[in-house]
Amino acid sequence: MATFPSTDWFDAVRKAFNADDAFHGAGGGACSTVMGAKIGRRQFLLTFEGLECSAAREVSEPDLATADFYLDMPYADWRAMIQNIAANGRADLHHTLNTLDLDRPEGLSRSIHGDQYREDLFFRYNQTMQFYFDASARVKTEFAE
Amino acid sequence: MTQNTGTGARPGVGPAGSEPASATPATPPPFDRPNAAVAAAQADAAPVKPPPPRLTWMGITHQWGTRVKPGKHGLRLGDLNVGIYGEVPAVWNDQTRNPRGAVARRGIPPVGYSIRDKADLWADCAADLYEEAIQRRWAPATDVPWATLASLPDDLEAAICQVATELSQYANVDVEAVTHWQHQMAYGYHEVKQFLATVSFDAARHLEAFRKRALANGGGLGLEGPGEVNRMILESRGGWTETVLYLFVLRGLFTQTMLRYLERYATCDAERAIYGNCLEDKARHLTYGVDHLWYSINHQPDQKLITQQLCIIGERVLVRELKDPVLREALSIVFAGGVARAASEGAAVYRKMMRDFVRRYLDVMKWLGVERTAMFPDELAQYLRND
Repeated sequence: MATFPSTDWFDAVRKAFNADDAFHGAGGGACSTVMGAKIGRRQFLLTFEGLECSAAREVSEPDLATADFYLDMPYADWRAMIQNIAANGRADLHHTLNTLDLDRPEGLSRSIHGDQYREDLFFRYNQTMQFYFDASARVKTEFAE
Repeated sequence: MTQNTGTGARPGVGPAGSEPASATPATPPPFDRPNAAVAAAQADAAPVKPPPPRLTWMGITHQWGTRVKPGKHGLRLGDLNVGIYGEVPAVWNDQTRNPRGAVARRGIPPVGYSIRDKADLWADCAADLYEEAIQRRWAPATDVPWATLASLPDDLEAAICQVATELSQYANVDVEAVTHWQHQMAYGYHEVKQFLATVSFDAARHLEAFRKRALANGGGLGLEGPGEVNRMILESRGGWTETVLYLFVLRGLFTQTMLRYLERYATCDAERAIYGNCLEDKARHLTYGVDHLWYSINHQPDQKLITQQLCIIGERVLVRELKDPVLREALSIVFAGGVARAASEGAAVYRKMMRDFVRRYLDVMKWLGVERTAMFPDELAQYLRND
């Protein structure tokens, strides 16, 4: 059992994601990016290299500036997304990263640097990021709040 | 099923029932008959000794001893840019197909490349995008779960088919526009040419996927789109940079935004896979487009103003095309799940889609430093006022 949010939880998802070839085929594949996740007052950075998510670590808020893009939504919405993934085995159409980004006035994906090239990685690797979070269906999760 | 009649088949490789591979045909085809004159000459002639190799070409190189090592992600195209092989000049004067870094042969007739300035096609990310396109490829035949398609109400199926019809047209324009320019690009900028080859292939795949969606669920292709933007893209003769602006940024962002909403309102996993995968491809194309415009603007003194003028022209053509109601109505029906709520619910989602498109377009232009408040069409600006 891993607690969301925590480095342990992101690591557990990382291992599930890396272990299954189904996440690395069509729609997925090699990518190179650092994605941030802002969950309430906590921040995490995930590093994707080649076919793997190679690292996950908790960071301070200013460190999000090093991310190509970061996902930002209230804790309750993160929780709803992860619960939806657990219930369905993957996100339904109301809880995909694409939908969550479209449905928020400020979007889900943001950046501090404003660099279009780096921000567009959210779209270029959208399926891979989705596969990563879909892999959380295989991780027994408890919630901090 | 069409049966192979065996006519014209080579002996031994015909369909079931034809002669087995080991059998000799009664009358050998003409190319198998021994040539009597050749046979006689071979019998009379003394054994011919091949001339000793001269090997004069050996050792002709600009740089030898190169040993590029694969990195963490394999041996990538960009990794090869070492020493003289990584020197990408601002102008490529060689008019032949001489590979960058190879020794030119004298007397090669010119090919006639018209795009020889780096600023007219370059993007620093091209080599990486090429690798990405190769590694993240997908196949509509097998990577789309076609079995998840289910019967839909006629109005919804018709709307999806109409959208698929227009998107397949867009994809065809992508192929034609890219290939029209590609052969005019100097060989020295091979990273860009290689990346654009993947764009053509991506677009061919999109055409395939949308056509398959239209024909796989009881519907069919709908009405041809008005094609004003298509024509503008195909007839943009001011240079590749102009085409990039219209194809990858103006139309590309519009298509990308549409794909995001189509994925949001997909009716099944097959559609979700199509739209999601196409979205990633289109995002890659946009990345090249934006990076190239950035390079072009920052290496040519007048390019920013030229881009602004081209935007004014392109935006007006897009506005004119959007006055055609077909795509708007079809999308509204898709977003509303049927015609009943299309005028209210569906139209509201359509407006939100247009707002997102206009916002992102203006964000990209702002990032490029291209001023887009002057003469910005009110038909597009209105979507921002509806916030």
